[in-house]
Amino acid sequence: MKNNDLGPLIREAFSAPEPEMKQSFLKNLKPREVSTPEVVLQQFAYIRIPVWLFAGFIMLIVVTASLFRFENVENFMTVCMPFAAAISVLETRRSARFGMSELEMATRFSLRTVVLARMTALGILAAVELLVCAPAIAASFGRSLLITGSRILIPYLLTMVSGLAVERSPLGRRTGYLSLVIAAAVSVLVFLVDNLDSRTLLLYLNMLKHWGVALVFVLLSLTVFEQWKTIHHVEALA
Amino acid sequence: MKLSVDRITKQYKNKIAVDRISFSLTEGVTGLLGANGAGKTTLMRMMAGILDPTGGEIFADGIPVQSENYRALLGYLPQDFGYYPEFTAREFVRYIAALKGLDKKHAKEKTEELLELVGLSDVAGKKIRTFSGGMKQRVGIAQALVNDPKILILDEPTAGLDPKERVRFRNLIAEVGNDTIVLFSTHIVSDVEHIAGNLLMMKEGQLIYQGAWDEQRGDLEQFYMEEFE
Amino acid sequence: MDYENAYDKIYKYAYFRVRDRATAEDITQETFLRFLAKYGTLREGDIRCLYTIAGNLCIDEYRRIKPEPLPEEDSGSLYAVPDSSEDTAIIRAALSELSPEDRELLLLRHVNGEAVGTIAKIMNLSRFAVRRRLQAAEENLRKRLEVDA
Repeated sequence: MKNNDLGPLIREAFSAPEPEMKQSFLKNLKPREVSTPEVVLQQFAYIRIPVWLFAGFIMLIVVTASLFRFENVENFMTVCMPFAAAISVLETRRSARFGMSELEMATRFSLRTVVLARMTALGILAAVELLVCAPAIAASFGRSLLITGSRILIPYLLTMVSGLAVERSPLGRRTGYLSLVIAAAVSVLVFLVDNLDSRTLLLYLNMLKHWGVALVFVLLSLTVFEQWKTIHHVEALA
Repeated sequence: MKLSVDRITKQYKNKIAVDRISFSLTEGVTGLLGANGAGKTTLMRMMAGILDPTGGEIFADGIPVQSENYRALLGYLPQDFGYYPEFTAREFVRYIAALKGLDKKHAKEKTEELLELVGLSDVAGKKIRTFSGGMKQRVGIAQALVNDPKILILDEPTAGLDPKERVRFRNLIAEVGNDTIVLFSTHIVSDVEHIAGNLLMMKEGQLIYQGAWDEQRGDLEQFYMEEFE
Repeated sequence: MDYENAYDKIYKYAYFRVRDRATAEDITQETFLRFLAKYGTLREGDIRCLYTIAGNLCIDEYRRIKPEPLPEEDSGSLYAVPDSSEDTAIIRAALSELSPEDRELLLLRHVNGEAVGTIAKIMNLSRFAVRRRLQAAEENLRKRLEVDA
């Protein structure tokens, strides 16, 4: 007889009479505490499969392409990042889109916490993407990590900032996919900068060398500000 | 437990949806009657803590409606609710259980128990979008009960249920009402007659009747028809 | 930590020490109240502390009723539950021959599903000792089942 078969038997052997006072006692106790990290972890479990696939797909392509020194990989990455951002932005409106807002507002944590947790979860995912891809590219092409990092982050953050603002507007709420349009626009823009002519690219890279980190920092602050606004906006019932 | 609603008011730009309503509820089932647009949903949303009142206060044994502790006591079924398209009935109830702070194991057990209770055990693994209106409503009832609420607010819970489901629902609510404050709105008088020991009637944002139905005032159905239709 | 779950665990733990539903439930509730009075709220990982409080309350209970022999010796009737399988009956009989500590180990591990590390802390043993004793107790039960089969 295997060990696993023993468990159920033991459980059955230890049978106790059902407690009688449990419900009435527990109803008079205060609720258990749930920590914010726990809520974030919970939301990780509810990130949809396509989002995971998209992130995994980018990382897989970038890492393999870097290994084979495939020159266009950096370009590919910068063009993809706006769409990763758009996915996060759309996630903030997911509750409203599928009519879950009222239900989520009436739970323990309120919808604000849920959306905050959801964005944190997606933010962590994006950070992992960056931490995997930037060093891979920088190492295999001998580039500066800071410049590569800013090249990846700037289109991402740019889409985040404008996407969040637009999705809150009446037009954004009506259409529901405007942040994808923005992502496409940013994507085209970085594609043009990268490929139009070598002088533009050089100018851009030179700018990044001096101001890249500062620019990322500014965009990051703006993103946090926009997220804060979105989270406060999210519970306004029509 | 005592749930007190004190001079609660909700005013929109040019309309008063709920006008200085006060009442208090204890364990048992209370029916909220009123025509469409009487302010029932607005009142219930304020009692569920998801809509801020313009004035007045709501407390459950001194716990204010805006607090996390209040929400921990609450089960709420909105009039209209959706679901993430990928959700099965089981996933849906578990998701709400998670948001209500149940730990995984308990959430799992509770979900199965409630799906059984509302008669959806055999379709628990099916996507909600394949469900009929009545089945979806039963999922809604299950999610509202998942944290063993002490305050249960149900907005039109019998909408979309067929007669058999309606009977089943009434029995369920009557049982829950033994040790829970249950407030449910409806415009079907027979829902209330059978199980609600207590009544609230709303008209144009105001309460026009509260308490058990006084038989001397005649037939409730009759009264309702005259007042609201 | 979720309250209902913790209540069930502590209740079972106390029940198999005092063998009386009402007493076990009193101990469970007292455990919760004492814990909450001290810490205010229950968090993940606090279960260990609950076991310790409950264990002490059970010891107090033994002292109170001391002169009477503990009823757990007469195992057959105590563990007996209608409609259980033959295997369960064998296990039940075997359990009653184990030392109270081994029985508690099995309860904590298999019924309450506690991690070995948690059990070690509750029972003041090393993880190694917990594993070894669990193995020995399980081996013992398994042999009994094979003999009877």
